[in-house]
This record gives sequence, structure tokens and C-alpha cells, in this order.
Amino acid sequence: MIKKIRPYVYLVPAFLVILCVTLAPILYSIFISFIDLTKNVHKLDNPNLWSFIGFTNYINVLKDSVFWSSLVRTIIFTVVTVGFEFILGLAIALILNEKFRARGLVRGLMLIPWALPTIVNAVLWKWFYDADHGTITGLLARLGFTDGYSNILSHTTSALIAIMTADIWKNTAFVALILLAALQSLPKDIYEAAKVDGVKPFQRLFSITIPLLAPAILVALIIRTMEAFKAFDIIYIMTGGGPGGGTQLLSFLAYQQSMVFGNFSYGAALAQIMSIFTMIFAVIYIRIFYKDRG
Amino acid sequence: MAKIVMKNIKKRYKNSDSLTVKDFNLSIDHKEFIVLVGPSGCGKSTTLRMIAGLEDISEGDLLIEEKRMNDVAPKNRDIAMVFQNYALYPHMTVYDNMAFALKIKKMNKSEIDLRVKEAAKILGLEEYLKRKPKALSGGQRQRVALGRAMVRNPKVFLMDEPLSNLDAKLRSHMRAEISKLHRKLGATTIYVTHDQTEAMTMASRIVIMKDGIIQQIGTPKEVYDRPVNRFVAGFIGSPSMNFISATCSDTALKIGDFTFTIPEEKIEILKSQGYLNKKITLGIRPEDIHHEPKKEKNNSNTFQATIDVSELMGSESLLYTSLGDSTLIAKVKSTNIANGEKVTLSIDFNKIHFFDKDTEEVIQSTNQSRLIAIS
Repeated sequence: MIKKIRPYVYLVPAFLVILCVTLAPILYSIFISFIDLTKNVHKLDNPNLWSFIGFTNYINVLKDSVFWSSLVRTIIFTVVTVGFEFILGLAIALILNEKFRARGLVRGLMLIPWALPTIVNAVLWKWFYDADHGTITGLLARLGFTDGYSNILSHTTSALIAIMTADIWKNTAFVALILLAALQSLPKDIYEAAKVDGVKPFQRLFSITIPLLAPAILVALIIRTMEAFKAFDIIYIMTGGGPGGGTQLLSFLAYQQSMVFGNFSYGAALAQIMSIFTMIFAVIYIRIFYKDRG
Repeated sequence: MAKIVMKNIKKRYKNSDSLTVKDFNLSIDHKEFIVLVGPSGCGKSTTLRMIAGLEDISEGDLLIEEKRMNDVAPKNRDIAMVFQNYALYPHMTVYDNMAFALKIKKMNKSEIDLRVKEAAKILGLEEYLKRKPKALSGGQRQRVALGRAMVRNPKVFLMDEPLSNLDAKLRSHMRAEISKLHRKLGATTIYVTHDQTEAMTMASRIVIMKDGIIQQIGTPKEVYDRPVNRFVAGFIGSPSMNFISATCSDTALKIGDFTFTIPEEKIEILKSQGYLNKKITLGIRPEDIHHEPKKEKNNSNTFQATIDVSELMGSESLLYTSLGDSTLIAKVKSTNIANGEKVTLSIDFNKIHFFDKDTEEVIQSTNQSRLIAIS
């Protein structure tokens, strides 16, 4: 009997930690999305005043035009950043998979953007875009793209592009790392067979390499899509959602509603909706890539 | 099909001082089945890969149909290669694996279909065409790899240890299949293996290599009956040839405390080459040692042996014993000899080989060496 119980006893500490730091907050967040918890001091302290209001919070979110504009922006942000990160990451991985001098050094350097904390990255890029002293601002002015120094982060479109660029710069390295690891584990003899078969480099990439990399691509895309979809810190630092909500993505909206305006239930409902989106992405990706893998 | 000539081919890998393949010379005729055999690291795979164009040739000339191929890309050499690990495209079906090279050549679809189905029929793969390699057994995968080579209708088939990932039973089955296929297609085939059984059973000629050097080229029978040195003698044949230290006078052969009378022509060979009363290495194949249950003890070609281990192989038994200071293996008809038993064994001295103790080259009459040179 003791023998049977013992393994479970050992698991208890880990389970407790997970319960406290992951499971409980998730369940609590789901719970408050169904009540009317707002920044009313009396209500916060007194659960007796909480009333169950069903899907009202969800309906409010879906009726809110700010939600829809943020969703569109989030989708644009996700598609553009993940798209570029994938294409650039694959290209870098393919290059770094070739033999050349100082390859180890280049591989190491490539990882630096990804190794930087997001906040450091965001602050760095914020400076690049600084209206008076920014490197990029200056570069654009001198190359004649802008009339003198302009405030990139104060215009809606340019601010979003600027943030996406910063995100791509950081996370391309991550995609490249995963794809490079996968590339190095691909069997060499398949490529030799292709060589004897007369497969051209272009065909080799699309007919052999990319299909063989599919599982790794899937992992990279799922992770990156989920992260991009809930991007928060880079926006918080670089624009604070501005100008005029022009770079406000869903997670920033959820943060703003909950933590700034005190609409905890609204924020929680929004967070649940985001989770559903994330799950849908994962299912779609898995379907696409594993459709004929059984 | 194709004639292949290799002239003074050498291979030196970057950052390596020594040559992996040293002065490889071989002329392969149309429809020949050549097996390159040798221990790992002997340069056999490297040689094959140079023919395929997967490795550069450091020196020498490779001619296929009298055309120099050294700098021709693999795809333009009109060869097909079968790899040890099959090298199938895992994301493609069996059909697509076979059709891929043809699609790349932009062959029309009906022609591709015809060829793939024809190959599938020959290889018994018809019902698996829609499967992915993952859903096939090792033997089936190897057949797909063969099919992929076949559909291209190449001048030359190159096979790099294609059977070494299969289990013993499947291997002997596939051995026969490949031989059959070769007879049917009649394509020049170069086959690399470390397994002397594959070499002996499949080859029209065997090329035995060691340390990047060709030791001997010949038909299976030639290399078995007339090995040119101790290495070839030991490598070909299973179990390996026994090597025993001996001295021969002009009347008898002395091994340890035993003295044997051997045929005069054998003594003559040693005499003519100046090896009388010198230490030599004697080579005796296990199958040339016989068990003599009824013969008298002190016959001129028999000796008393204590059997250390007796292994029953079915219709035959392997007896492990010693003669002089050397271990001796005898392959005899199945018997009930127990471990530790004392028995009489006889040696067929007509079939023994002599090797120089230092150079390990075979000692043979001048006539014989002339014969080998001609063959």
C-alpha cells in the first residue's frame, strides 16, 4: 500500500507549486470573468457583494469596438512578425548550416538579440527611434526618406512598423536557432541521394528541406505565434499602446482594462477570449503540418 | 550497359596526411557485378563515392563509356545509387520516392507512371505504393531504394552496403533478389560491402581492399582458391582460414611437435622459392580439416587433437582445437563430439597455402604466379 502511495507523495510538492502559481490563477481568472468585479473598493474586499452575471462580460467585450480594432492590430502584428521571423530565420539557419570560416562565432553573435531581455530590447529600439537623437530617425532623415528628424513612434502606422521591426529583430534569432538545430539533424544521405537524382538547389529547398523541417517549423511557429499574439512588454515600454491606442494589442488592452481602469472582470473575459484564439492557432498549425503524417 | 575504367585513382581528404585510396586501378566490363569488399576504413566506400561524384577524385581518371567523368556532376554521370540507410524521402509516398527523380527531369506523367509501376511490379511493391517509408519494414524500404534507382534506368548501379541494416534472414533473401535483379536488368553494378558472404555469393568479380590498396581482384572462386596474400586468405571464407607456423624440410612438414608428410609438389614449391627449412605460415581452410573416426592414429596426414569447443551448426560442426601454438578451427560433418574429447583429425595437404612469414605474400610456384598474372 505504502509503495503505491509513495510516488504520489513525492509529486505533491511539485503539484502544489503548479496549483498555486499556474492552475489557481487560471481558474480564478475564469471565475472572475463570470462576475461583476470592478474597481469598487467595497466589492474587492467583500465577496458577498460579487454577483454571477453569466456571459455579460464576454458580450461586452465582443460589443466593444476597441476590442475589434485591437484584435485586427494584433492579427496584423502576429502575421507580419511571425512571417518575417520565419522567412529570415529559415534563411539564416540555411546560411549557418553551411560550412564557412568563423561559423561558430557568427552563430553565437546571431543569438545575442534573442538573449537580450525583451525590456532591454524595447528600450534599445526606443532610443533608435528617438525623435531627436535616434539612430534610425537620423538615418532615415539623411537618406532622404523623411523630412528631417521625425517622431516615428508618434504616428500610428510608423509606430506599429517600428515595434514590429524590434520584435522581428529579437525573435528571428529564436526561429533560426530552432531551425538550425533541426537542419543539423537531417540525414546527410538523403541529400546525397538528391544530388545523384539531379535535384536542383531550389527544388531541394522546397521538396526536401522544408518538408523535412516541418516538425521544427511547426514548433517554432506555434511558439512564436502564441508569443506574438500576447505581446505586451515591448509595447508597454516603446509606446504604452499609443499614439491614441494606435499600437494597442489585445494583451495591452486586457492589462489596461484590468490594471489601469480596474475592470477586472472585463479584462479576465478578454484574456479568456485570447486563450481561445491561441488554441485555435495551435490546432490549425497542427492540422496543416500533420495532415498526412498520420 | 556501361564500361567503367579507373586509372591510378587516389583520394586524399583535406587535413589528412595519408591517402584514403591509393592508386586504384580497375576496368569494369559491361554487365559486370563488381563487389568492393574489405574491413571498415579500407577505402571501399570512398571509391564508390568517387564514382558517384559525391567525393572529389584527388588524382587519376574515372572513365564511364570512355568519357572522363572526374569533373562531371553526379546527376550527369547516368548512375543511380542505393544507400546503406536507404535515404528515402520520408515525407513522400513510395510512389513519389520512385517518381521524384523522373519528375525533376520533367518526364511526362504517363511515362513516369509506367516506369514506377513496372519497377514496383518487379520488386513486389505494388500494394505499398501509397505508403510512406515509415510504414514499411526494412526489407521493403530497401526495395523502394532499389526501385528508385531502377526507374531511372541508369548505366551504372552503385550500392553502398545496402543490406547491412537488415537482419540475417532478410539479408540472404535480399542478396538473392539483388542478384536476380542484376541478371534481369543487366546493368553494370558496383557493390560495396564488408561482408565476404555477400561478395562471394553476388559478385562476378571481387575487389578486396585494405588500407586503401587493392589486394586482389578476381572471381569469387579465384580469390577463394588462390588468395595472393594472408590478408585475402583470412578475409575470404567463413570461418576464416587457419594460420599456423611451420617449417618444411625436403621430406616432411613440421608443426610444433607434429610431423606430416605432404605432397611432393607442395614441397617443390617451397624448394623452388627457397623456403626449405625456413619458418613459414601455413594456411589451412577449416573445411580442409576432416574428422577421421576410423583411421589409424599415426597416419601421415592425421593428428590427435583435444577439442576445446564443439559448435553444432546444423549439418556441420565447428571444432576448436590447437596444433602447435596456434588455434585451429575445423569444419566437419555434424558429429556428436563433446567438449574436451580426443579425436583424430586429418588435413587435406593438397589444399594448403604457404605464406611468407614477413611479407605475408603467398608462396607459389613461378608457374602459378604467371597464371594469376594472366587472369
